[in-house]
Amino acid sequence: MARREPSLFTRLIVLISLVLMAGAAALTTAAWYYARAAANDAYDRLLVGAAYQMAEALTVQGGTLTVELPVSAFELLANSERDRIFYKIVDPDGGTLTGYPDLATPESDAPAMAVPEAQDGRFKGVDVRVTKVGRFFSDPSVQGRVDVVVAQTTEARTALARELTLRAVALIIVMSVLALGGAVFAIRYALRPIGRVGAALRDRDPHDVTLITVSTPRELRPFVSATNEFITRLKDRMDLMQQFIADAAHQIRTPLTALKAQLQLLSRHPMEPQGLQHLTRVQERVDQLSRLAGQLLSHAMVNHRAGAVPLETVDVVEVVRRAIREAVPETLDRDVLTSLELPPVPVTIEGDAISLKEAVKNVVDNSVRHGAPTQLTLRVRQESQTVNIEVEDDGPGIPPELWPQVTKRFGAPSPGGTGLGLSIAADVLAAHGGCLTFRHADRNGFTVIMSLPSRTGPKS
Amino acid sequence: MNRQKRWPRRPILLILCLFWTAVQPLAGLAQGIPTPTFPALQGEQEVLSIHAATDRPAMEPLIRDFQILNPNTRIEFVEYVTNDLFAAAFKACQDGRALGDVLLSSGVDQLVKLANDGCAGSVRSPETQTIPRWANWRDEVFGFTFEPVVFVYNRDRVPAEDVPKTHLEIADLLRLKPETYQGRVGTYDIRQSGIGYLLAFNDSQQTTTTYGRLLESLGRAHTVVRCCTGEILDEIEAGRILIGYNMLASYAYARVRAGARLGLVMPSDYTLVLSRGAMIPAGAGKAAAGTRFINYLLSGRGQTLAQQEAFFFGFAGEAPAGVEGAASIVRAGIARPIAIGPALLAVQDDERRRRFIADWSRSLIDMTAR
Repeated sequence: MARREPSLFTRLIVLISLVLMAGAAALTTAAWYYARAAANDAYDRLLVGAAYQMAEALTVQGGTLTVELPVSAFELLANSERDRIFYKIVDPDGGTLTGYPDLATPESDAPAMAVPEAQDGRFKGVDVRVTKVGRFFSDPSVQGRVDVVVAQTTEARTALARELTLRAVALIIVMSVLALGGAVFAIRYALRPIGRVGAALRDRDPHDVTLITVSTPRELRPFVSATNEFITRLKDRMDLMQQFIADAAHQIRTPLTALKAQLQLLSRHPMEPQGLQHLTRVQERVDQLSRLAGQLLSHAMVNHRAGAVPLETVDVVEVVRRAIREAVPETLDRDVLTSLELPPVPVTIEGDAISLKEAVKNVVDNSVRHGAPTQLTLRVRQESQTVNIEVEDDGPGIPPELWPQVTKRFGAPSPGGTGLGLSIAADVLAAHGGCLTFRHADRNGFTVIMSLPSRTGPKS
Repeated sequence: MNRQKRWPRRPILLILCLFWTAVQPLAGLAQGIPTPTFPALQGEQEVLSIHAATDRPAMEPLIRDFQILNPNTRIEFVEYVTNDLFAAAFKACQDGRALGDVLLSSGVDQLVKLANDGCAGSVRSPETQTIPRWANWRDEVFGFTFEPVVFVYNRDRVPAEDVPKTHLEIADLLRLKPETYQGRVGTYDIRQSGIGYLLAFNDSQQTTTTYGRLLESLGRAHTVVRCCTGEILDEIEAGRILIGYNMLASYAYARVRAGARLGLVMPSDYTLVLSRGAMIPAGAGKAAAGTRFINYLLSGRGQTLAQQEAFFFGFAGEAPAGVEGAASIVRAGIARPIAIGPALLAVQDDERRRRFIADWSRSLIDMTAR
């Protein structure tokens, strides 16, 4: 027993999900990185702006450096409502003019004219962004650079970065879900031909050995062509088997004919009554054998033609005429009154005339052999959906409980019968999309009905 | 240097200044003055220590009502003046301690400075969300009162036509009637009073020209400066001072309720609104009780009681009967709340404070002393 493999669908979905998850994780990381950069960028501008405003407020009055820190600088920084603000102003001598003396001055190698940059730092145990703006004084009393250092905690930056990331993540999730949904749809669509091929194989008649003609995508063609090759080989083998049976039956018939002739010659000789009795039995057995051979041949032929020979327009009336004509030699043995009730116009269906003829012959043969003591009637009737060929006799017929069996091969062998006759007819009808049914008349009278699908419906 | 020579001309000021020079070093070291505690109504389970720079009589009804809700809490109330409270809290924070469990101060700029230095604990509750945004910074400093800054005048001595309605009018009044108002206008001494400095600073932020004219007029009128609202109100009641500039309405209205013949005017050009601040120091021992107290102050019950008994104004801005000016300065759009936020750090900047007070002194004190 082969190990149970996960389905193609599962494999693809699992793989695509993994890829999507990996992608989502990578995108989320990237989103967080960019969001943080964007948030820092946005708030750093305010930070640098505030530092500039403070630097702007530096003045030298009466020979001393002084500053009137503008409220607007703090209001600018208050854009991030929850963030704490630290600052200091360092005079050229390195002393702190005002602010937090222990705030570290960020080291920056940037040239004096460059735009100040903000950098990460820590103050009072919290993360801060800190920037420095320098202003040069060349006053007689104050000479050199005055540094304005402004730091701000990072709550607003973090909050903004988190919000931006969450939005990006929401988008990523939506995209992933869409992609997954699309993948499910696409995979189902792509895998549909497999189901179609499977259905074509599954729904085939067991005897159907025609090639699969379902149109498939390129990827499935090797599979279909391999199957077709297999079917071809199978058909060849079946043909060989049929051929063998046909050949065997045929080969058996010739010696049987000779045997029958010998038996007839033998019966002319005077012999003891007991010997005559034996001889009669031998003759009966030989007849039975010859009929079996004939039916095997018929069976092989019918099976061979089913599915192998294209259907063509057939006149059912003509088929019945021929069948009865060929069956007559066998029915002549006994006094059976045969009557035909045929419509005056041809009744055509799509079918294989030879198989249909064999079917009718077998049904007639069956009736003559097991049924009709005196009377046999063949009818062709055009019904609304079907064309029925009815073979009626005045014999006892088949008890209804045996009906399901008699259409099976060797299903209900009757004394003297081969058990093949009705099954041949049933096979033929099945190959034509029809069926074999039975009907008991009120008194003596039993009808075998062969229903075939009507091609064009009832004709006027 | 120059001042030294001029002082003798005004003996009262000299005495006052000498007194302050003597007191100031002590005040720097001074701890708050402990007052009788509010014992627990039932079995005492905890002690809540409130260090406050705000008048105790106004806080008393609120504390007693809080104790009805928390009968097992004894409340220790330590009083300071604003600058001392700030100094003590700042030092405690530098040492890694907490000063009490709740700080109450009208010097909100100082509380903001403390919070900025990481000295505040966070309080997040439904109550903290109900107050206006400008009265809450970082869920750490909360404004729990709404106190318009008004002109107070003596009803018996100031004729109706003289009553100023705007800042410009008061400036003009002092300029046009110097004989009446010379030396009879009072305001905070911003060198001593943190609130006075905060209010003057915010005046200067409103309209520079008006502020300049006002300062000039106040200087010419030889304005009397005092450390505290109470002293000025006393003098207005007594008739020695006729008009008080930049007075907190709650103090003045309490006196009106007590029968004083005082008039209150909410200026119709703009009315500054101060909100007293409450804060829990970082690492406070009874932070949970402190949180309960702050939540109580901000709750509907606390606010209603404060409006009825303590501060007479609510965040909606409705003025009680007898106050002149708009029915609701908030709806009229003339309220200028001093927002509790990082902008107050500019107020707290040492250099800026030094310069502002120097300018103020030059305009007001030197002029007065001349």
